[in-house]
Amino acid sequence: MLDRYTGVLLFAGLGCFGLAFVLSAVYPWMITDGTRPEASIEAVATPVTTEFKQLKESYPVAFAQAFPRADECLTDQELVDVAADDPRRTASDGAWGAAHAVALRAGRDEYVGQVCWHCHSQFVRPVANEAVRFGRVRSAADDNNELQRPVLWGTRRVGPDLTNEGGRRSNDWHVAHFWDPEGTSPDSVMPRYTWFFRDGFQVVRGIDPELAARQGLSSEREYAYPGVFETQAEAEAELARIRESADPNLKAETARLRVVPAKGPDGDGLAIIAYLQWLGTWDASEREETNQ
Amino acid sequence: MTATAAPAEPVEPAKPAEAPATDLVCKGLVRWHLIMAMFFMVTAMTWGFLVSFQFLGVSPFEGIEWLSFGRLRLLHTNEIAYGFLVNGFVGCMYYAVPRMTGKPVASAKLGWLILGVWQLILVLMSVGQLLGYAQGVEWGETPTGFAPGTWNMNYVPVDFLIELGAVLVAVQFLTPIVKSIHRHQYVSLWYLSAGIIWLILTYVMGNTLPEWTLPGSSGAATAGLFIHDLVGLFVTPMGWGLMYFFVPIILRKPIWSHALSVIGFWALAFFYPLNGVHHFLLSSIPMSVQYGAIISTMAVEIVVTTVVVNFFGTMWGRGDALRTNLPIRWFYTGMVCYFITCLQCMFHTTLAMQEIIHFTDWVPGHAHLVMLGVFAFWILGMTTWLWPRMVGSEWHNRRLNHWHYWLTVIGLLIMFIDLTAAGLIHGFMLDALSPWMEIVRAMHGFWAIRTFAGGMILLGQILFAWNLWKTWTGPKKPYDYRVDLAVAADAGGE
Ligand code: HEC
Ligand code: HEM
Repeated sequence: MLDRYTGVLLFAGLGCFGLAFVLSAVYPWMITDGTRPEASIEAVATPVTTEFKQLKESYPVAFAQAFPRADECLTDQELVDVAADDPRRTASDGAWGAAHAVALRAGRDEYVGQVCWHCHSQFVRPVANEAVRFGRVRSAADDNNELQRPVLWGTRRVGPDLTNEGGRRSNDWHVAHFWDPEGTSPDSVMPRYTWFFRDGFQVVRGIDPELAARQGLSSEREYAYPGVFETQAEAEAELARIRESADPNLKAETARLRVVPAKGPDGDGLAIIAYLQWLGTWDASEREETNQ
Repeated sequence: MTATAAPAEPVEPAKPAEAPATDLVCKGLVRWHLIMAMFFMVTAMTWGFLVSFQFLGVSPFEGIEWLSFGRLRLLHTNEIAYGFLVNGFVGCMYYAVPRMTGKPVASAKLGWLILGVWQLILVLMSVGQLLGYAQGVEWGETPTGFAPGTWNMNYVPVDFLIELGAVLVAVQFLTPIVKSIHRHQYVSLWYLSAGIIWLILTYVMGNTLPEWTLPGSSGAATAGLFIHDLVGLFVTPMGWGLMYFFVPIILRKPIWSHALSVIGFWALAFFYPLNGVHHFLLSSIPMSVQYGAIISTMAVEIVVTTVVVNFFGTMWGRGDALRTNLPIRWFYTGMVCYFITCLQCMFHTTLAMQEIIHFTDWVPGHAHLVMLGVFAFWILGMTTWLWPRMVGSEWHNRRLNHWHYWLTVIGLLIMFIDLTAAGLIHGFMLDALSPWMEIVRAMHGFWAIRTFAGGMILLGQILFAWNLWKTWTGPKKPYDYRVDLAVAADAGGE
């Protein structure tokens, strides 16, 4: 039989293939992911990370364009004046969850579409001091969710592992890093992702020339206010708002406010940052316990 | 399983003195598949070459998203797999299968259709990947054909077209093989038939399950199985199947031991697919599965040795062919690389070595040794042998073929040694908790050498592609087939 053509086709062509499929795909599935349902994006999107909320504070315009129900998402600052039983609070929680889920999906798609995973792994092994360097070792339960289908373990570490990247760096660091990795990490070989940015206008405040002279700082230093606006008019309106709400004692300070052209992350940029800030924050072990 | 079943005189002896290619073979199809293979070889390598500059801190197309590092990196591996390897193997099969079975392929018209459909697939695949419609499954990146959301490139059903193309290829080549079934079948035909069937199964599996149903660690197990099956159950059987045909034909002697060739085939079929999980060792895939993969990886390497021994046994007494016959030299260089790769595999599949080398440049070093050093070398060797016969003309310039050989081989050796060393250093620095940027800085020099070696290899391919083109389109020079048949002076022109 084994030297006949039909034997070759049946035993080698189908049999060996099928055996391997059962042993190395079906069997591991049966004893790991087959034992519990896959977590949906909505499930892993809560709780919403602090960094995601900060993204709305820093880039309200891009945020509102990129994610749904952004106007219902209230930042902690906005919630200060909202009563504890106000329905806007619960609406806000739901809206954050929905926006976060959209952001995570989009961020994951960017991660795949920009092929970050050929330079970064998401896979901490229990050897080679990886837990010391990269944090908690990956378990099968951690990856049993929709964002890990297809799995993004990666094959190569040109850059560091990103399994537990969430919260390790600030949003601002990520923005600066995507614009020019060599700026934050000299000699980095990570590409610039300038297409995560769009042109806009931003309110800045120049430095007090006397202060600069006294402290030996460059007189070109400026402090940037949150928010990158699409049009100059919008930025001017923001400038007026800042000036109005400022302490009257700070007249001299607000006189130095001006609007300058600026780059800010666009929807894709926000999404990938939201995704990075989420990585490792979803703790599957908690889910295990509640399931039992 | 008896060795006696293997035919005593498996290969039809090529008719000496006159042109060996007869009407059985549709030369146009061979020519066009081989030309397209070389086209994709040069383009895919150009992407590899450009991508390697990113590692030197130079983005070749700064600020252009669709020509960015990630996109070109995708094209590099996908065009090599589906553009170069598939076209190359199919082209050589258009020669080998009819010559072995004595029957023409199913239909020449179908052949032109497959050729067209396949190049269309490659264009769609490349455009889709440049635009970023990738799926995150290595080698399963081609747009699927259906996707949620608004219209996008993912609606172009490239995956489906590939599956259709593979089925057509199966019809095309299985027809003559099945028609000649009453005769004893040579192991070469086993490899080729099984390889086509495995390609279809593997492709369907890898492009559906990890994406649509299996998350996380079970998805990784399947994705590992997919990349491994694609190399082990498609590329490898195609390669060996064609070697079992071309080596005896060129050396004009039967294969050394038919028993070994049968053992080799069954060992490949049985052990190779069981290796899949070895791509993700020390992971959250159940340890029992990982140990199984490690043991069968070691087993496959031992049995693979039987195949290599068989071919060196065939070569026994004809060692001069290595010096005088360029295609044979390509084939056997490839077999040496195959042996090194497999030996390497046997060691680095152990958990002790995985700890150090996984995720480092060691892996691309290994990947280039096997994909370029083995399978690409064989396709290049077969092209070198077939081309004058298929276009009916002496080479435009034989000397260029030797330049091609040496540039490629030396380039690959430099690249392999360089990346392997880089991988070890990377791995040990990782273990020693060196700061990340220190590791990156330590790699800079190695990456520069890789780019240099890549430049050599690329130059070799450009010379060869130019030579192919000139031989085809330039004035025809009579080609003396006896030169090769006597395994004499392929070094002619020197
Ligand atoms: C050419 C390989 C390469 C590609 C592609 C790449 N990176 Fe990186 N990445 C690096 C290297 C090298 C570093 C370490 C140096 C640095 O900080 O820039 C790094 C660092 C990082 C860090 C900082 C990690 C930390 O906490 O130290 C993040 C986050 C990151 N990359 C995200 C991404 C994302 C998201 C993408 C895809 C859009 C991406 N990278 C694509 C090579 C790459
Ligand atoms: C000009 C010559 C070439 C150059 C400069 C080159 C460069 C590269 C680079 C930079 C990578 C990425 C490595 C990484 O992720 O760190 C790569 C990966 C790869 N290349 Fe090439 N390449 C060349 C030729 C080839 C050829 C001819 C083949 C196959 C026949 C090939 C097959 C592969 C494969 C399979 C990978 C994936 C490796 C992995 O994922 O670990 N390359 N190449």
